[in-house]
Amino acid sequence: MPPSPGMSYIDWNANMTELILQSVYSGLLQGGSYALIALGLALVFGAMKVINLAHGELVLLAAYIAYTVETKLGWNPAAAIPVAVIIVTATSALLYFVVSRIKTNREINSLTLTYGVGVILTNIVLMIWSADVRATSSSWMQEAFQVGDLYSMRSEVLFFFVSLVLIVALWWWLSRSWYGRAVRAVSSNRDAAKLMGINPGRTELVSFLVAGILAAFAGVALFSYGTITPATGGVLTVKAFIITVLAGVGSIPGVLIGAVLLGIAEALTVTLASSALQELAGMGLFLLVLFVMPNGLFGATKRRG
Amino acid sequence: MKKTTMILAMLAAAGAASVQAEELLVGVQIPLTGPLARVGMGTQEGIRVAAEVFNKTNGKHTIKLVTVDDESAPAKAVAAIEKLASEGVVAVTGGYGSNNISPASDAAGKLGLAYVTSGGVDDGLVQAGRKNFFRINNTAGYQKALVGLISDLGVKSVSIIYSTKDATEGLATDVQKTLGAKGIKVGMHAFDPAITDFKPILNKVKLQDRSEFIAMVGYENDYVGILRAARVLKPSSVKAIAGVWSLATPKMAADFPDLMPKVYGTAVLPFPVHFTTPEGKSFGDAYTKLLNKEPDYLGQFGYVQSMLLFEAIARAADKGTLKKGGVIEELRKTDKQTLIGRVQFNAVGDNPNFVQRMGQHQGKQVVLVWPKESANGKPMFPGVPW
Repeated sequence: MPPSPGMSYIDWNANMTELILQSVYSGLLQGGSYALIALGLALVFGAMKVINLAHGELVLLAAYIAYTVETKLGWNPAAAIPVAVIIVTATSALLYFVVSRIKTNREINSLTLTYGVGVILTNIVLMIWSADVRATSSSWMQEAFQVGDLYSMRSEVLFFFVSLVLIVALWWWLSRSWYGRAVRAVSSNRDAAKLMGINPGRTELVSFLVAGILAAFAGVALFSYGTITPATGGVLTVKAFIITVLAGVGSIPGVLIGAVLLGIAEALTVTLASSALQELAGMGLFLLVLFVMPNGLFGATKRRG
Repeated sequence: MKKTTMILAMLAAAGAASVQAEELLVGVQIPLTGPLARVGMGTQEGIRVAAEVFNKTNGKHTIKLVTVDDESAPAKAVAAIEKLASEGVVAVTGGYGSNNISPASDAAGKLGLAYVTSGGVDDGLVQAGRKNFFRINNTAGYQKALVGLISDLGVKSVSIIYSTKDATEGLATDVQKTLGAKGIKVGMHAFDPAITDFKPILNKVKLQDRSEFIAMVGYENDYVGILRAARVLKPSSVKAIAGVWSLATPKMAADFPDLMPKVYGTAVLPFPVHFTTPEGKSFGDAYTKLLNKEPDYLGQFGYVQSMLLFEAIARAADKGTLKKGGVIEELRKTDKQTLIGRVQFNAVGDNPNFVQRMGQHQGKQVVLVWPKESANGKPMFPGVPW
């Protein structure tokens, strides 16, 4: 990328440094939002070996709840979190009861089932909220937040920290709490866990409930810094799945690192090459990691929750 | 006796009238779900209004719409056409997205059905040599409007931020060529339709391009993302920002009041809408009555394309050529002043007269600022939303 006519090399270097720093910063924040979206899917995948293809739609449902709270009550979208948690967690529990009915070949059959539930949820969203593009109109959320020469929206910084707190909380819950340990035990060996007095059904329900809570936060965050339409859910699921596999199944810290790597790789591609290649770069990174480390960045050998 | 004869005569007349008021089925293939659901629904509203107005004003024929959702997917669009044909439609109106319209119009052509649309501006659609394909708008009309505004504002450098979809990439490339030929410096920034964070692109505009004008060629969610990024980064060199379709609308002003002030976009009519022609008033009244809201540009396009089709069908029915390719023949003869200007169809089914207008968000209004002969206000220049 040579300097344009009339621009000195010193100016060009300064510009490039600023561009790259801004890209890394934007990628870091974007990675935080990706991690928030992927956490719930990673938890259920790790705990039950169920790829919940309706996870993106759960996130989307929370985003539309935030939209409703903002437009009907005139509140800041962050105020929608309690309502979103209740509704999305209840929906996630319902989804669990449907998935738990599968008696044979759960890993494969749950794919079809959750995909179908995702389609149903998309159409429910379409019927209730129409196909219009929605995004927050909250000035506070959209205002610039400046750190030196680095810029972002307030909502991006806010939810990046929310994402960090949730990741730490989830990691703590999985490693220290009784239910967290139960989730890991069921994930490791369902029958052995049962012999140890753990109720696998209840434990799996808990993992779906926690995934619902995480999806609720992710949805409210998405509405606060992005745009939503009923078709967004599928895209979110794919992104979440890529990060989960990139991280290594079952690794919660891996989700954050994988998501941030993906976010930074995408942003740097825009700056150093072309924005048209952003998604391709993300997929390239995904394939490269899987080629070199088939179990993901923090796969089976290092998996400790 | 006299009374009985009169009753018989009246019954015969009524029978004849009912035979004459022939009900004709018209297919609507449109995305009502999937990524194009919003634009599909907007266009469908105009199609419904056209049927309503036509059935009220044309005493001889009645149009009955048969609608199939193509789910924003090419394969489903083809299946929709086949389903419509099996139900006996005489022509098809609708379609959105060039990649859906292309296979759908091919399928319609194989079944001998005319296909009219306003949802595909990719030039490949008219270069494919389809005999049954007609569209009322095209890339050239949007390009003329965008280039016309940029030239009239006298800016010297432009950054074009465009989606890599067929239609948007084609339009962006055409605008780049035309502006380049006028000696205006152009920076091009393609983006993948899936991206949501536009700050890295806007930072390149701010630090490298240092352009006076940003032209956005994308869709509503892209505009919101770009405008938000611009609002955060505040590129100081930029004096104006414009987009193409779906931007200069009252809905965008209402939904994103912080992002829209002084932003330009293509517009058919100003807002609040003032219809001056009898057809415009008839459309506006019917639209408001049927849908209980103000007409928007998608509705206007859906209305115009469908009304032209219904009139062609009626003419073909009168001539008894409905099943002999008469609709296609009649559409080819179209030459009418409509809500979007004069519409004619050339040999490849394109409307060579199509030129968009440019509107600017000023307060809660959309003011037409280009071309001068259609303008109802002056551009606020320089002016950006941040």
